[in-house]
Amino acid sequence: MAVLKLHNITYQYPLTETPVLKNINLEVQEGEFLAVIGPNGAGKSTLCYTISGFVPHFYKGELNGTVEIAGVETHESSLSQWVVNAGLVFQNPFNQISGAKYTVYEEIAFGLENTGVPREEMRERVDRAMALTGITDLSERSPYSLSGGQQQRVALTSILVMEPKILVLDEPTSQMDPIGSREVLKVIKTLSERGMTVVMVEHKMEWIASFADRVIALYEGEILLEGTPEEVLTSPELAIRGFGISRYTQVARQAGPLGLWPPDQRLPITLDEAVDGFSRSQP
Amino acid sequence: MRERLSFYIPRQSPVHRLNPLTKILITFTIIIMAFFSPWYWTAPLLIVFVIFPMSVIAKVGREFLFAAARLLPVVGFIFVMQALFLPGGRTILWQFGFLKVTLENLMAAFLVAMRIFTMVSSFILFLLTTHPSELMSDLTRRKLPSTFSYVIISTLQIIPQMQAKANTIISAQRSRGMDTQGSFTKRIGALFPLVGPLVFGSLVEVEERAIAIEARGFSSTLPKTSLHEIPDTRLDRSIRWLMLILILGTFASKLWLS
Repeated sequence: MAVLKLHNITYQYPLTETPVLKNINLEVQEGEFLAVIGPNGAGKSTLCYTISGFVPHFYKGELNGTVEIAGVETHESSLSQWVVNAGLVFQNPFNQISGAKYTVYEEIAFGLENTGVPREEMRERVDRAMALTGITDLSERSPYSLSGGQQQRVALTSILVMEPKILVLDEPTSQMDPIGSREVLKVIKTLSERGMTVVMVEHKMEWIASFADRVIALYEGEILLEGTPEEVLTSPELAIRGFGISRYTQVARQAGPLGLWPPDQRLPITLDEAVDGFSRSQP
Repeated sequence: MRERLSFYIPRQSPVHRLNPLTKILITFTIIIMAFFSPWYWTAPLLIVFVIFPMSVIAKVGREFLFAAARLLPVVGFIFVMQALFLPGGRTILWQFGFLKVTLENLMAAFLVAMRIFTMVSSFILFLLTTHPSELMSDLTRRKLPSTFSYVIISTLQIIPQMQAKANTIISAQRSRGMDTQGSFTKRIGALFPLVGPLVFGSLVEVEERAIAIEARGFSSTLPKTSLHEIPDTRLDRSIRWLMLILILGTFASKLWLS
């Protein structure tokens, strides 16, 4: 069943000349993992804001079309009510710390205090969310004393504790070192395996290949390609339009005409697929 | 790097256990008494018999003395300036050219210095024993707008972060050969390239932080709840009544005697 429906979304920021999103139609099924890729300025972040209600409630401007989660449209709800439908986590972990709390535990409870959750239930939900993302041992630390990866997991937990139907992740690992990224991605994978519906903007093609059920490629505000990770990520169109593509795909594509990549083999995205293909092409 | 701007020292003491509103009311009562009491010796007596003993009861005596000692030069300066430059006064104790010290001015200067010391030191004691977020959740519960308390608390936390960022910018510019040390004018000149990135960078962050807290229901109109239960006992209420009576008494005696 489709839990998220975007119908004919066109959106233009205030004081700008051209729309950032043009005629986007999209459905996301319950429990699905949808990855969004695209070059800079393709409208990826705006798409995230639109799903999580910041367009039109936070960013004004001109929005046409409808966003619907579980039968409710964004414009029928207030921003603070929408948090139970879609939760947004974005790049910079530091800016996602509220600054109003002195410990990680309090930080995660912040959203529940805002929405008036009773104390007993608040503690239960915070404990549960922290266990899920594996940050229970950080609970008494100051959010500002943590590493980037830890801060991002705190930010993720603070959103999860609101129990949104959809988790929207806007390049959650782009400002992290490799260890931090792995910590965060592992948590996201666990959440997805437990049935969470996820929409994630991501640049690391190898991760997308191992995570996502479906990929959309945004280009200049429109959906250019849509399909399984294998279909989209190895499409020749991506390279032409300046998308970042997996280096394994690039190598295999150039190896093809030289007879070094088996012609019947799909282009690889991950290291394992590349190793597999190249070992088959050897006499 | 300090993680936050807070004087709070966690201890188990009767003062720590008081409700934050009670403590703030005690603080204001002390200040009002020091400034408005018609009796000359009120402020010094409050310091000796109320503020110092309270700091000991609160088990922050050492920290309090340390902070108070750093206050002394300021208070001393005020005392000297007042003693030297207040107009009037007849009983001349000491004179040198246009500078003269009179008994009347000396007494007036002592009064002002003691009042200021009382005001600042009672605030220090309040800050040492009250967690800022506890104060704010208590005030929010008492219908203070949550945006107001958010601004106060987040500022306390963000200032040290801004300091850290300023240091990063200074290091970055120094590593490109900018001279940030030396004479006073040189240092002032070096400030400008610092302020730009710091201020504009922070403005960008404000938007992101706004999104982050909105994503957690900040603008919700439902009644807010609080993770921690903040004590508010019968003792608290009695103390608050007592403080109100003291405040009224102070004003009444002031009016009565003038």
